[in-house]
Amino acid sequence: MDRAVSAGDESGRRGHGLRARLLVAFVLVAVPPLLLFAAFVVALVSERLERSARQRLGQGLEAVRTRVGALRRQADAAVTAIAAGELPAHAPSEEEASRAATVLGDRHGLPLLEIVDASGRVLSSRQWRAGTGLPERDRQVPGSPELRWETVEEGYGATERLAVVAVRPGMWAGAPVLVRGGFPIDAALVTELSDLMGAEVALRDTARRRWVARPGSPLAGSTEPPLDPGRGEGTVDLAGTEYRWAAAALGPAVWEVVAVPHTLMAEVTGGLRRLTLAVALAALLAALVTALVLSGRIAGPVRALAAQARGVAAGDLDHGRALDAPDEIGDLARAFASMTTELRTSRERLVQAERVAAWREMARRLAHELKNPIFPIQLSIETLRRALDQEGAQDAARFQALFRESSDTILDELRSLRAIVEEFSQFARMPPPRLAAVDLGEVVERVLALYRARAGAVRIEASLAPDLPPVSADRDLIGRALGNLVANALEAMPDGGTLSVRTRRADDGVAIEVADSGPGLTEEQRTRLFTPYYTTKKGGTGLGLAIVQGIVSDHGGRIQVESAPGQGTKFVLVLPRTETAIMAGEP
Amino acid sequence: MRHEGRVLAVLGVVLCAASAARPALGPRYGGELRIAVAEMPATLDPAAPRGTAERLLAFLVHEPVLGVDDDGRPRPGLAQSWSSAADGREWTLRLGPATFHDGSPLDSADAARSLRRFLRTGSTAAAHLARTLEGGDEFRGGGTGALPGLATPDETRIVLRFRAPMALPLAALASPAAAVVSSRGAGAGPFAPTTPVSARGLSAVAFGRHVRGRPFVDVVRLVAPGPDRGPGDPGGADVSASSPPLPPAAGTLMLVLDPGVPAFADGRTRALVAASVDRAQLVRRFLPGGEPADVLVSSLLLPPWPAAASPAPAGPASLSGRITLRVGSDVPASASQRVVAHLAALGAEVQATAVPAAVAATESGQARLVLWYPEVPEPGLALEELAAIADSREAREALAAADLERNADRRRAGLLRAEEALRASDILVPLARLPLRLGPRPGVHGLRATAAGILVVEDAWIEP
Repeated sequence: MDRAVSAGDESGRRGHGLRARLLVAFVLVAVPPLLLFAAFVVALVSERLERSARQRLGQGLEAVRTRVGALRRQADAAVTAIAAGELPAHAPSEEEASRAATVLGDRHGLPLLEIVDASGRVLSSRQWRAGTGLPERDRQVPGSPELRWETVEEGYGATERLAVVAVRPGMWAGAPVLVRGGFPIDAALVTELSDLMGAEVALRDTARRRWVARPGSPLAGSTEPPLDPGRGEGTVDLAGTEYRWAAAALGPAVWEVVAVPHTLMAEVTGGLRRLTLAVALAALLAALVTALVLSGRIAGPVRALAAQARGVAAGDLDHGRALDAPDEIGDLARAFASMTTELRTSRERLVQAERVAAWREMARRLAHELKNPIFPIQLSIETLRRALDQEGAQDAARFQALFRESSDTILDELRSLRAIVEEFSQFARMPPPRLAAVDLGEVVERVLALYRARAGAVRIEASLAPDLPPVSADRDLIGRALGNLVANALEAMPDGGTLSVRTRRADDGVAIEVADSGPGLTEEQRTRLFTPYYTTKKGGTGLGLAIVQGIVSDHGGRIQVESAPGQGTKFVLVLPRTETAIMAGEP
Repeated sequence: MRHEGRVLAVLGVVLCAASAARPALGPRYGGELRIAVAEMPATLDPAAPRGTAERLLAFLVHEPVLGVDDDGRPRPGLAQSWSSAADGREWTLRLGPATFHDGSPLDSADAARSLRRFLRTGSTAAAHLARTLEGGDEFRGGGTGALPGLATPDETRIVLRFRAPMALPLAALASPAAAVVSSRGAGAGPFAPTTPVSARGLSAVAFGRHVRGRPFVDVVRLVAPGPDRGPGDPGGADVSASSPPLPPAAGTLMLVLDPGVPAFADGRTRALVAASVDRAQLVRRFLPGGEPADVLVSSLLLPPWPAAASPAPAGPASLSGRITLRVGSDVPASASQRVVAHLAALGAEVQATAVPAAVAATESGQARLVLWYPEVPEPGLALEELAAIADSREAREALAAADLERNADRRRAGLLRAEEALRASDILVPLARLPLRLGPRPGVHGLRATAAGILVVEDAWIEP
């Protein structure tokens, strides 16, 4: 049963190995292409989104440039018109002078308008009336004459606003002045552009490190601008949100910056990646299920076929039956079943042939064994008949002597015949062992005591372990087997030698070693030693060692022989300990 | 036809004459006076007023023991008469019959309790009174509860004993912070509040048992700007900033340059700033109704000497760095912008920040632009207030000497020396004199403002 289970496990492992390989093959076939496809899709979408973001940023920058350019042109036209002929020709009153910039600015739609005299004093200002009569304090952006930081009144003081302006010379009551007017490009403008573009639009004065951005813009909150000189775009983390930005120079020190949250792209690509992962997992699952089903269909017949093969290998030729499979595995199974049927037929023929051969061998042996005694009997009887016919009662004394001699010969041969018959009978009717706890040392001593008288020139040495456990054995059968071994050993040393008998503990029981110092056995002799009717002795039946092997086998033990020509022969009988032996002996 | 025309003409003339004669008929009782205010005070408790709203409310619901006239001399309040003894070191004030808004009678114990409370407030007038009153400093410092300089011999008399004879010993009692309140917090002013003061405003009804009689209008309602109305929007108010302002121009627009700020640590820099502002142009262009101010105290209180040409400042010709200018919310934004422009023209980068008027008046540090009114419209106390702001020892010494001077001319000379000392430090830079930026609509009569910028409502009446 254990063997069957372990065989089943092995079969399962083999089946699972095939199934695992099939699963791996399915997964490898199904998933990598899907992953590659998903990666391609993600890359494609990311690239499209990147391109879209770049386009959006570019459009934002272009919108700022366009708007600033338009304001510049509008300021230029208005200021040119004012400077050309709208300034007061005669000295205005203080009130008129103060209001002039406001009036002219209103007329031309200029929110910023300032008239400055030759000494730099503000004659009139629309955006910073408090500065009238004082030196102007506005600051030009370095390198950009049309960009200035204009002081504009705000609350209780003033603020500075970046402005695109035009400057033209003019005449104010006969004195040369500069007319400067324009439009703020301030938070309101960038807020409008930001709302229009759906992006963060801001301006950065890199010289003054100031932002012009809509209120609350993350760009304005950044202490370090994302601008890296020489780099027109990039990404930056603003208030925990990643932005993609692009910048372009409005002037040497003023940059326009457009930024869009990177989150949309990150969300889309992240979503795609998650979707791809989910699809890949689903595909993996589907591949696994499909592979499980298909591999089960493929591996099942193979496993069944393997089980049949193992059964056949174990001698069970009845397992070979065809599988109901229409494919190549089915063909293989059918071929295997046919082969098994053929094997079964062949085995039956072989058994029959062996049986016949055994009977023939038996007959040959019987004939051979019986022929030897029959011939002296026949010869003795023919001698007696001839003596009777030739001499009759004339020489009774001589006839009697001849009769006695012949009858002795006949009786000897008859005894020999009986012994042969008895031995065959014993071999044929080997009784089952009657197991009981047996002290092997006592058995060995008893057997050796029987043979010491016949030892002749052979020296018998016994080495018996004192603490051997009892074995479960049939005392008589074990004694007979041991006697056969001792007898064989003595016969192998007709000119004397040493017979050693030793008992010891073995790993799996108790061992009895019977060694002689005889001529030893050849390789062929050793391999055929336990074959019934094989003997190297004159007059031997070849059944002694076969009987020994049968007895040992019936006890669940084993017998080994170690021999080489000229080095003697040693037989080792190993009998299992009590429990095993008893169990093995149970019917 | 001709006859009918004559009748109509006569009727028209009669109606026009009647309409024109209405104010001439004199005050009448009744009506509700709505006053639009930019901000509301946090409490109605008597205190030295620090902003426009507090000045408006100062004598609306409260009444001091005494008032002062434009010359700084006492005028009746709850005390109807007063007399001195011990060569001017002891003064006895006699209270007239009066009651609080809650109906409880007002007696000398209430007045004494209120004066004791007053002496321990942060008021400059209280500090002045404590310094001159016997045991006043010790009491003000909290070291003792005894105040030998204050006694109430009976229910109507209050006796004040001073350390030395003084020119105007009673002027400090005119501070709004010295108003008399009952033990339960009720006032005795011309109007009794009917709602608690809140950010939305305040209502008060005429108090029939006021010491000077019932005011003319029935109700005074202070209306704060709501979310849908800016400070300049009258919103139907009878008195608002959009009407012509009430004279006199007693408020001083003043630049306070704290010498503790590095930018103004150098007196020459402060002098440069003081000299840089073109006051005439400031007033002409940005403060209509105002007057240029070269001295700290209004000429109404302290007529100056004939102006002497001030020497041109020597030293740095420019400012640099960043300056934070904290501007009181009652300062006109245009004036603030002009001052900012002047400072910017000197080279400074100015950040102007609006703060509540009370905060701008009291907090130190950086530069401040404040609209200052004296707590008590008496030149000695006004200069003492300014000396406290400027932390000028020289001015305080001159003022202490002037306090003891009972000769009016010599006292005035001492006060002018104190004023000059204050001005010479250029810590306080007077720029302009402004009237109360509040005026009545046509049809509202009797409303007046004091030299302390206090709106007196009790004589106002509304033309029907």
